[in-house]
Amino acid sequence: MRSMTNGLRAIALAGAAALALGACTQGSATRQADSPDGEATVRYMNFSANDGHENDLKAIVDAFEKSNPNINVQVETVPFDDYFTKLQTAVAGGTAPDSFELNYENFVIYADNGSLAELTDVDSSAYKASLLDAFNHEGTQYGLPESFSNVVLFYNKTLFEEAGVEPPTDDWTWEDEQAAAKKLTDKDKGVWGDYQPFTFHEFYKTLAQAGGEFLNDDRTEAVFDSPEGVEAARFLVDKVGNTMPTEADGAGTPDFDTDLFKSGKLAMWHNGIWMFSQLEEVDFEWDVVVEPGGARKASAMFTNGLAVSAASENQDAAQKWISFLASSDKTAEVRLDTSWELPPVADETKLASYLDQPKPDNREAVFTSLDAAVLPPVIERQQEMQDVVTQELSDAAAGRKTVKQALADAQAAVNELLEK
Amino acid sequence: MTQASVTETAVEPRSEATETPPPPPLRRKASKRRRRRQALWALVFLLPSAVPLVLFTITPMVSSAWVSLHEWNLISPMEWVGLDNYRNLLTDPQTGTVFLHTLMYVAGYLPLVYVGGLGLALLLNQKLKGRAFLRATYFLPVVTSWVVVALVWQWLLNPANGIVNEVLGTLGLPQPGWWTDPDWALPSVILASAWKDLGFVMVILLAGLQAIPSDYYEAARVDGASAWQRFYRITLPLLSPSTFFVVVISLINGFQVFDQVYVMTGGGPSGASQVVVGQIYDLTFRYGRAAEASALSWILFVVLLVVTVIQIRVQRKWVHYA
Amino acid sequence: MPETRSRIARIAFYAAVILGAVIMLFPFLWTVITSITPDGSLSKGPTLFVEDPTLDAYRTLFDTLPMWRIVLNSLGVAIVSTALQLVTGSMAAYAFGRLHFPGKNIVFGAYLATLMVPLQVLVVPLFIEMRALQLQDTYFALLAPGIASAFGVFLLRQAVSAVPTELDEAAVLDGAGHLRIFATIVLPQIRPALATVAVFAFMYSWNNFLWPLVVIRSPELMTLPLGLSTLQGQFTTQWDVVMAGSVVSIVPIAMVYLLAQRHIIAGIAHTGIK
Repeated sequence: MRSMTNGLRAIALAGAAALALGACTQGSATRQADSPDGEATVRYMNFSANDGHENDLKAIVDAFEKSNPNINVQVETVPFDDYFTKLQTAVAGGTAPDSFELNYENFVIYADNGSLAELTDVDSSAYKASLLDAFNHEGTQYGLPESFSNVVLFYNKTLFEEAGVEPPTDDWTWEDEQAAAKKLTDKDKGVWGDYQPFTFHEFYKTLAQAGGEFLNDDRTEAVFDSPEGVEAARFLVDKVGNTMPTEADGAGTPDFDTDLFKSGKLAMWHNGIWMFSQLEEVDFEWDVVVEPGGARKASAMFTNGLAVSAASENQDAAQKWISFLASSDKTAEVRLDTSWELPPVADETKLASYLDQPKPDNREAVFTSLDAAVLPPVIERQQEMQDVVTQELSDAAAGRKTVKQALADAQAAVNELLEK
Repeated sequence: MTQASVTETAVEPRSEATETPPPPPLRRKASKRRRRRQALWALVFLLPSAVPLVLFTITPMVSSAWVSLHEWNLISPMEWVGLDNYRNLLTDPQTGTVFLHTLMYVAGYLPLVYVGGLGLALLLNQKLKGRAFLRATYFLPVVTSWVVVALVWQWLLNPANGIVNEVLGTLGLPQPGWWTDPDWALPSVILASAWKDLGFVMVILLAGLQAIPSDYYEAARVDGASAWQRFYRITLPLLSPSTFFVVVISLINGFQVFDQVYVMTGGGPSGASQVVVGQIYDLTFRYGRAAEASALSWILFVVLLVVTVIQIRVQRKWVHYA
Repeated sequence: MPETRSRIARIAFYAAVILGAVIMLFPFLWTVITSITPDGSLSKGPTLFVEDPTLDAYRTLFDTLPMWRIVLNSLGVAIVSTALQLVTGSMAAYAFGRLHFPGKNIVFGAYLATLMVPLQVLVVPLFIEMRALQLQDTYFALLAPGIASAFGVFLLRQAVSAVPTELDEAAVLDGAGHLRIFATIVLPQIRPALATVAVFAFMYSWNNFLWPLVVIRSPELMTLPLGLSTLQGQFTTQWDVVMAGSVVSIVPIAMVYLLAQRHIIAGIAHTGIK
């Protein structure tokens, strides 16, 4: 154990430790700089390969290292729940990886405080313009889009047929969904018509569907406590207990909705396309459609980006790697073959193979949804905003507050977050 | 610490021990030089634990006190703000709320876990068939991860079809909404925590019980003391060092309750079970407000210090060392 | 006490003890059962029957994670940390329980104070310190916070204080110094407390999550809780595999406890307290 001899050094350096805190927040990022023969090691930290796609990421890394023999990519995969704890601590300690993954919601915070390196000479033609733009912060490209996924309406065809209800189409509206959900709910049999979580992410989307806005144009004030907001929140909250199971029925416990749908007791389910591979073996017919709209169609979009640490000593090599990971044909191929999240490529013909895969039949809906994709509103204190909106909606759903009261309270709380 | 003698309340075990024991000769004979030598020895005995504690706990503690005087989100450089974080926290009603929840937790948890753990320890200190197996069984929840335990309790306390409510229903008692109801979320956590930690208290008290010389009991029996008298006059006083330990540690740990809240209720519903360390965790790792989290933990520190000092003061009245 | 009771009371007594044991055992049983249920899921609630028991989840667990390496890391760190805590803790306990020195109460208070700041705010400064010492991502870093613990010192001090001083006096008359009194008189007498501290020190190290998460980045240094956390996906979780992991993590501590218990009993027999 070489670390044991280091223990002595630890004691010797103990006096320096207290000072270290101040000194090290802007330390260098890696121990390995470019070695004399031009070899570079690029550390890459990510969450999206965790639990099932580790080998797929490895395949992309191998392909990259083959075409860039001087660059060695060192992958660290951390589960999403712990990812930001680890990344924040690493940044604080000056050991941030050279390159890392950020979801869209967190990107702005990191870009804002100078942790990210500016990316230059980005080949903008390779990416879907709207996605590339999402990782542009105040005119500077601090990140590349890495992947995206969206939410569609899953439905159990068999249940619809048995109940004699017309199956959903891409043109459905809220009224169609509500009417069908009512007909399909059979509490005695434990069959529920609908399932849609009442969370921040669902709310910003339904708000857009109702034609409302979350923030004002210059993002200085929350404006969702509007007639559209009330309509959107009602749409979510009114399902609970009527066509959708309540918390007391188990909703919200781990995998509750997944198991409910898989066991054939849920007719309609708002969920992400990442569930496709999970549903390969269910013993009923199912399909997806574009989510029903209110005043207009709007689909939630989740997108992850890639960034280079401002403290990295290998910024060029790191950018080379993330560009490859974001836009290479190899990546697109791996992502589509393994039903991972979708690649953000501009050239849609590269996505063709995605449509050829068997279930669900209506894979087109995934791309149709993109036409009306809306990104979540982002503020500096993002997580607090998400928590407060989710909490107020839960209060409304549990009947602890009226919808109007909950929205007013949520808006006041978000405005307070914007002020600070 | 004072080397108190076994006090009058304890039944005196043997006739030859009935006179008050003489003060330890070590102290009586201690000359100045001796005292200095003993202090040196104390240093030798303390260093192996003091050095790592200073390096790996106290140094980070001092750093976090330093951090608490800044504005810092972990990723941007720190900015000096003096006592602003403390001022903001002390005027924020949320601080009072999370302390109140924590206090309620401790008040419910401590009696449950102590009485339960003592009962178990007494039970499993007797000669029973399969005693070792039973002890291990009661210890299992202590080592089981909170993720699993929380899942089980969410299921047991499920408002709609959990066993607990089914039993309450057949008895004609009200069936609370448990962790889905703001009024019952904390009691749910308390119940699960006490259940999980019973084995912890049991193990410590068992070690204490086993250190009580059995001839004390035999002498008491010869003197005709009833089971209750033996418990009250021998077991309780001689167990008091262990009890003191359990109470101090359970209070320190109880005030820092977090894991079970995080996995069982996430602080909800509607923030009804958010506790101090839950708030500290959210501030540090979810909201990027690390400096405020440090300030909050120093407020918690002061509370814990006061509580512990009071206990150390009061212990002289009820803890009996050999 | 049971010998004074009637047979019926004794049966009732055993029934209560066993019922209690079942309630305590239940989550563990559920863990085991879910781990051997094909496609184990949780939403149906616990059941005690498995239709087609399978070890697939354990296979998946050992295929997806370098389990042997992970378990060895965890074991190594836990054993070393336990041993160190027994040494550092019992020595400090002797100082606090037997020796007189100026400022004893204040020093003891400072020890206790190390338990009063939540770990959640200490990990970041500690990480920065480790990084300044270039010790991050090493076995030593995993071990560092577990070399000494005020919890162990406190528990052992209580035990040392409970050891009658008559034996020391005899030894002092024989000319024994503190090291000898400590090693030959006090240590054997506090074996039950040592065994208890060993169990908790082992358990603490074995289950520690937040600190390893932050300080370790090489997969070769991964400990069990870190490994198991990677089994929970962002959107879905294979519960049978997670539960298999739980079983793998519970069994060693239960064994440590059983071993420690035998030690406690042996310790009492040796010292002749009973």
